[in-house]
Amino acid sequence: MSETYAYLSTEWRDEALRRLQAELPPEKMNNITTSMSNIYKNCPGDAEKFLMIECIDGKVTRVETGEGDAPDAEFRISGDYETFAKISRAELGSQKALFTGKLKLKGNMAKALKLASLADRINKVLSQIPTKY
Amino acid sequence: MTRILNPNDPYYIDNPGRVKTIQKEMHARGIDVYLGSRVRTMSFILDAFCPWRSYIIIPPEGDPTVFTFVIDAIRLGDETWLDEDHVRAYAPMGGMDQISAVTDYIKEDLGIGKGRIAYEDGISTYTAEGNLTHWEFTRFSEALPGFEWINAHDIIDSISIIKDRGTIERFRKASLIVDEGHKAARAALENGGYKGMTETVIAGIAALAMRKAGSVSEWNFAGLNEISSGYRTGLGACTPPTNREIQAGEPLMLDFHSMFQLALGDHSHNYLIGPATPRQRWHADNFVALVQTVLDNYRAGASPSSLAEIMMDCAESRGCADFTVPGCEHGIGLFGDEWRIGAKADGPIPYWTDPDHVYRENEMVVCAMQYASPSEGIGFRYENDILILKEGCEVMSKFPLAIEEIN
Repeated sequence: MSETYAYLSTEWRDEALRRLQAELPPEKMNNITTSMSNIYKNCPGDAEKFLMIECIDGKVTRVETGEGDAPDAEFRISGDYETFAKISRAELGSQKALFTGKLKLKGNMAKALKLASLADRINKVLSQIPTKY
Repeated sequence: MTRILNPNDPYYIDNPGRVKTIQKEMHARGIDVYLGSRVRTMSFILDAFCPWRSYIIIPPEGDPTVFTFVIDAIRLGDETWLDEDHVRAYAPMGGMDQISAVTDYIKEDLGIGKGRIAYEDGISTYTAEGNLTHWEFTRFSEALPGFEWINAHDIIDSISIIKDRGTIERFRKASLIVDEGHKAARAALENGGYKGMTETVIAGIAALAMRKAGSVSEWNFAGLNEISSGYRTGLGACTPPTNREIQAGEPLMLDFHSMFQLALGDHSHNYLIGPATPRQRWHADNFVALVQTVLDNYRAGASPSSLAEIMMDCAESRGCADFTVPGCEHGIGLFGDEWRIGAKADGPIPYWTDPDHVYRENEMVVCAMQYASPSEGIGFRYENDILILKEGCEVMSKFPLAIEEIN
């Protein structure tokens, strides 16, 4: 039986980076340079958490998780922990979450539009990580 | 890919210079940020076709940022001179709706949390004018509580009155394109070609010719190419084409519109489909004489009321004043800038052309004249882009002024 990771833990973060680098080569990420911080509100234990992913020339170079202020990023998406968890469990589409206001995006929407499919690819990889929420 | 401005292009417009002029006026009025929403404002600043509801944020210095409907943001970014970071989108998403996107940008990206904010309000005959709606104003006000709201559309209206070289060249080109439409229409009508032809078909023949010549749109809001035949020529100054067939013994009015780099070609030409009666010919000769009289009197220093007076005096002397619609022109600028002449909104009747507006050199109007005898089923229209000169005017469509009888 494969190992299960606590959501947003350092182990989960490392596994996320490993899988993203392995499954999403630069050409699959359209060789883009961008970054995104997800801000998790109403987390278990009340602390605000974040997940930050950075991509340089298409290579996923950085995945950060933690509590408190999120690193600066080109896009900032905020929402409830449970909303993000549902997206990671593939129970809710990220676009539906945005269109219903469950997630709030900050950043250049015109640019974000070009990245929507890439974000879906990232979410798909993350949803494959055996995770304990 | 952002468009690179080229000062050597004959159609070049110094858009960054326009922004600096606006910012200078904002500074003079103590305005901290300008929130533009009108179509004419988008055209004037972005120099790109911006048909969807958009908001342009002009900071005290630096480039403005436009927010437009997400489906069109990438295309707009490709056509305007602003770079990708300054062309943004709103969408029905959390944090990205119009109110959130615009107000977050002002507060967080520009770091302006209070002060005086300019916006655009007023009234227009033009449905697509784009003044801020009551709903928008209310929501923006709630989201920007520290701001004093100043209606300041006159800043852009004032700056846009006198046309620069590139704008004038664009209008010349748009007008020559309209002439191609008229040539094609005339060729299609003559030698009995009109028989069985509908108003919509002649509109389409002209549209194709103008598109081939470089027009991107029959831009007009009131029916694209406006056509009237027979009794419809006497119905007034707005005639979207119908499926009515053009017939012998009737008048025909062709009002074609072209758009070239946001400049709006607009020329109306009239015919009598033979055989014409002496009474029809009399009306036609009156109208041509009236138009020529008005064109002869456009110059810097003239005003809408002085020209209307000259026109009505001429009409009275010819015995056709009862058929002459008072008023000779409407305003014109890049796409979205139509109808009202001048920047003044507090004339005798607010937001209508000030009849005492004094024309200046390099101002443009559409000479727009209408003649109608509805009871006789006859009317004519003249429209043409006019550049005001120190002495006289430049009539941009070169299609000869006449009302020919064609068979």
